[in-house]
Amino acid sequence: MVKQNVRVINKLGLHARAATKLVNEAAGYDCEILLCRDGQQADAKSIMGIMMLAASQGTELELVISGTDERSALHSIVDLFENRFGEDE
Amino acid sequence: MLSLHGAGIGKGIAIGRAYILKRSDIDIPQYSVQDIEVENEVTRFLGAINATHGQLLEIESHIPSDAPPESKSFIEAYLLMLKDPLISDQPVETIRTEKCNAEWALQRHSELLVARFDEMQDEYLREKKNDVRQITSRIQHNLLDIPQQGITEVAGQLEDKVIISHELSPADTVQFKNHNIIAFVTDLGGPISHTAILARSLNIPAVVGLHGATRYVQHDETIVVDGKRGTIVINPDEGVLDKYRARKRFVSQRKKELSELKDNLPVTKDGADVTLLANVELPEDIQAAHQWNAQGVGLYRTEYLFMNRPEPPSEQEQYAAYSEVIRLMRSPVTIRTLDLGADKQVDGGRSEAPTNPALGLRAVRLCLHEPGLFRPQLRAILRTSALGPIQIMIPMVSSLNELDQVLDMIEETKEELRHDGEVFDEKVPVGGMVEVPAAAIAADFFAHRLDFLSIGTNDLIQYTLAIDRIDDAVNYLYDPLHPSVLRLIKLTIDAGTRAGIPVTMCGEMAGDARYTKLLLGLGLRIFSMDSTSLLEVKKKVLESDLRILPGKVEEIMQCPDSNTIRDMVVALEDL
Repeated sequence: MVKQNVRVINKLGLHARAATKLVNEAAGYDCEILLCRDGQQADAKSIMGIMMLAASQGTELELVISGTDERSALHSIVDLFENRFGEDE
Repeated sequence: MLSLHGAGIGKGIAIGRAYILKRSDIDIPQYSVQDIEVENEVTRFLGAINATHGQLLEIESHIPSDAPPESKSFIEAYLLMLKDPLISDQPVETIRTEKCNAEWALQRHSELLVARFDEMQDEYLREKKNDVRQITSRIQHNLLDIPQQGITEVAGQLEDKVIISHELSPADTVQFKNHNIIAFVTDLGGPISHTAILARSLNIPAVVGLHGATRYVQHDETIVVDGKRGTIVINPDEGVLDKYRARKRFVSQRKKELSELKDNLPVTKDGADVTLLANVELPEDIQAAHQWNAQGVGLYRTEYLFMNRPEPPSEQEQYAAYSEVIRLMRSPVTIRTLDLGADKQVDGGRSEAPTNPALGLRAVRLCLHEPGLFRPQLRAILRTSALGPIQIMIPMVSSLNELDQVLDMIEETKEELRHDGEVFDEKVPVGGMVEVPAAAIAADFFAHRLDFLSIGTNDLIQYTLAIDRIDDAVNYLYDPLHPSVLRLIKLTIDAGTRAGIPVTMCGEMAGDARYTKLLLGLGLRIFSMDSTSLLEVKKKVLESDLRILPGKVEEIMQCPDSNTIRDMVVALEDL
């Protein structure tokens, strides 16, 4: 199992479009990917779960990943957050 | 015979038979399944998910190619939700652990999801509950083997029908064009809902937000839909039907008469030039502006670009949209900067709903609060100024401090553009909308800093009389002819005239031909309105004589009572 904290830095937060990208990315890995916020957990493969975190800009989340390709999953998902999900700001 | 009221869209009248599009009210059965049947139940559930997937792909393939791109992304989001473990996996677990039927398992999870979304502070996320409901309903129909009643599924039966439905998704609305539907009526929805906006472009009358429509209307009953008044009449008797037929004829006859004025210039009897401009929102509105010979655009609303999407459009996307309007219009365009309320799409971090949005963080306030939202728009608008004559209009200014901040920001943006080597019109005029009484009362101060003023009557009336137009309980107090409103309009026009800058009016009052003579008498010379009103207003301008009107209007201004004022305004027609 690997863990890392990530911060939502894109302006719009984890709204529909960013959530869609996250789900599509997560779906490519054979592991369980969880996003945790203040005791609330969401499956990164569930668009509704992610949206229900209501994570706006500045929110701190913990990524908890376990499975065969957990290292590369962690790497690419952290990248997605840091690149603001491809959004301008 | 029964008549009901909702929010009208479009101006025409349609008379036809009702087609009830039913979707949501199906009974969800609940029963236990035997141990050996459990896996069959799971298979049945997964089969329904697959069938729904196939149907959504089918709908996607039928979206007309000229439909707005949002219609497609709408279906994509549905497909992703269908695959969501909360929809497609959890009910399976419930079937296995509780040994219940698939419909019941799905319904329980769906209701939990709806409740979770319903608790959300964020309005945008809260609306997702409707998506959950719609997707659930589609799966339930497949489980129960009840035919889907989307537009695609009942194609062929809809020609010349009035569609009655609890709600319509944009995926339905975009297909209306293919089926010759003459009108539609929904229980839910508002005049600026996505469905309404799409429908408006189809040029058919509709009434939305008509609660109870699906309860009162029966299949195949004759329905009259009056888009202008927001009324429907169910089973009208012959007399009423005759009246509506006559009005329908009158409307088209009048349209024909007015169309003969199309090429006349708007000049008063005594030879004063008046300017008639169009209010536009979508590129297709430009066609209408040309059709009725608007002399330019007095209000280009940019909100549409920002609505119904989770994130604002980029500078480049805005630049492309504004350029398109300039190119199509070929005459001066006044672009209003973003006039959104304290809105979800642009501020994911706002956790509390404002107690009074009309008095909250909206329009220019929101833009100053969110420079990240405002700057790309200013850059895009300024860059557009290189392509043709434009003006920048700032909505809802209320203090000079705030105005100075905006003007500074425009200067900074110009500096940025110079630095980036972008071209723009250095002298692009900047004006403000007078919508808040504070701006009207101190209009002379504002006039000294601005290149033009534009009176937005809808908000000005609402703020002056302290009534919420959307609130049914008080909207009878909404009165354009209230003496206080007329005084504020006069103050603004006089301040502009003294400062030597143009004053425009772009609210609903400008497009209401009943008030044209009054406004001319008050000194207004530039009117901006929905293009469909241009010819009616032009007719009044042609009948007006400015040698007489100002004196008569001065008498009206001395009158304290709205009802008397109304009679006096009507009397202006006989001059």
